[in-house]
Amino acid sequence: MHNIASIDVEQDIIQANDKLAYENRRILDENNVFAVDLVGAVGSGKTSLLEKLIDEMEDDIGVIAGDILSKFDAKRIEDKNVPVKGLNTGKECHLDAHLVEHALPDIPLEDISILFVENVGNLICPADFNLGTHVRTVIISVTEGDDTAEKHPMIFKGADMAIVNKVDLADAVGADADKMVKDVKTINPDIPVVKCSLKTGEGVDEIIALYKKFQSKK
Amino acid sequence: MHELSMANSMVEAILDTAKKNDAIQVTEAVLEVGELTMLNPEQLRFMMDVLREDTILKDAEIIINMIPIEIECESCGFKGVSKTDEEMDHLMAVATCPKCDNTRVHIIQGQECNIKTIKIEKED
Ligand SMILES: Nc1nc2c(ncn2[C@@H]2O[C@H](COP(=O)(O)OP(=O)(O)OP(=O)(O)O)[C@@H](O)[C@H]2O)c(=O)[nH]1
Ligand SMILES: [Zn+2]
Ligand SMILES: [Zn+2]
Ligand SMILES: [Zn+2]
Ligand SMILES: [Zn+2]
Repeated sequence: MHNIASIDVEQDIIQANDKLAYENRRILDENNVFAVDLVGAVGSGKTSLLEKLIDEMEDDIGVIAGDILSKFDAKRIEDKNVPVKGLNTGKECHLDAHLVEHALPDIPLEDISILFVENVGNLICPADFNLGTHVRTVIISVTEGDDTAEKHPMIFKGADMAIVNKVDLADAVGADADKMVKDVKTINPDIPVVKCSLKTGEGVDEIIALYKKFQSKK
Repeated sequence: MHELSMANSMVEAILDTAKKNDAIQVTEAVLEVGELTMLNPEQLRFMMDVLREDTILKDAEIIINMIPIEIECESCGFKGVSKTDEEMDHLMAVATCPKCDNTRVHIIQGQECNIKTIKIEKED
């Protein structure tokens, strides 16, 4: 005969990720680095925003770029001559704290003051996973349709700031950018939302000012 | 979707606990999955079945309990299950107080992906 035993495990996979995220945050704080998790749908403008911020912000910026298979985004950032680590997630639909933990040693944290982490293009899965960053920015664009926010409330609920991008195309695609702002505010009443066009530069100053504000409050 | 990574973490965690308890066989595992995790229980089960094939977990009964979304409203104090309309195709409602329509709500349940208990067999 065998002994049978019932064991309480009570182990939450999401909480386990949170623990690793806490550790990442500690490393970032030790090095005095302000970190931003940038999430958004595929093609919403994440990499374009980073390119713009690297050009226009005076801070020393580092980037971790999550990509499902290629190192395409990392290459675009490399061309800007800032420290970048491409993270290949394989089949994964989101970054998690463990992946970021592995990328941190490849970024010279002592040389940078801001770290941007470009998450995988996806508005659903990243909502569950803290990376240990100080701020989460969600970027959506009018070309995804102006019901994007109401369809994905959780990602906005957990975010600290939101960007509605490609407003230069709003008329062409028949989308109401103001509705998107309003939806985000309905879901998360306290969140700052910026209407922006990375093509014309509209809204970029406002985004930079917000990061400055978050950074000083860190 | 992230069923594969979740399934992988869960199988690993179950086997880890089993090993620490000198199990020779796992006969049951009870999981709790929150409705807000966007994990599809059927897909999760399928992935776990593939991953546990050659392990001491292979014959275990996997029980997946879905945990409903519960919220607490900052405005009216309502505490309970959020309204999830059957016909709802937009999820906005899960972040809204069913009593006063406020969206300043805290999620108190529904985001878990938890291994609750396992049953194991060990040598005498
Ligand atoms: N018209 C217009 N095009 C834009 C704007 N912002 C980005 N784009 C274009 O949209 C496309 C996608 O932009 P990316 O920055 O690569 O988007 P992404 O979110 O990094 O995409 P993934 O990493 O693939 O998820 C590119 O061709 C950009 O040039 C904008 O404000 N207006
Ligand atoms: Zn990109
Ligand atoms: Zn590792
Ligand atoms: Zn996923
Ligand atoms: Zn209420």
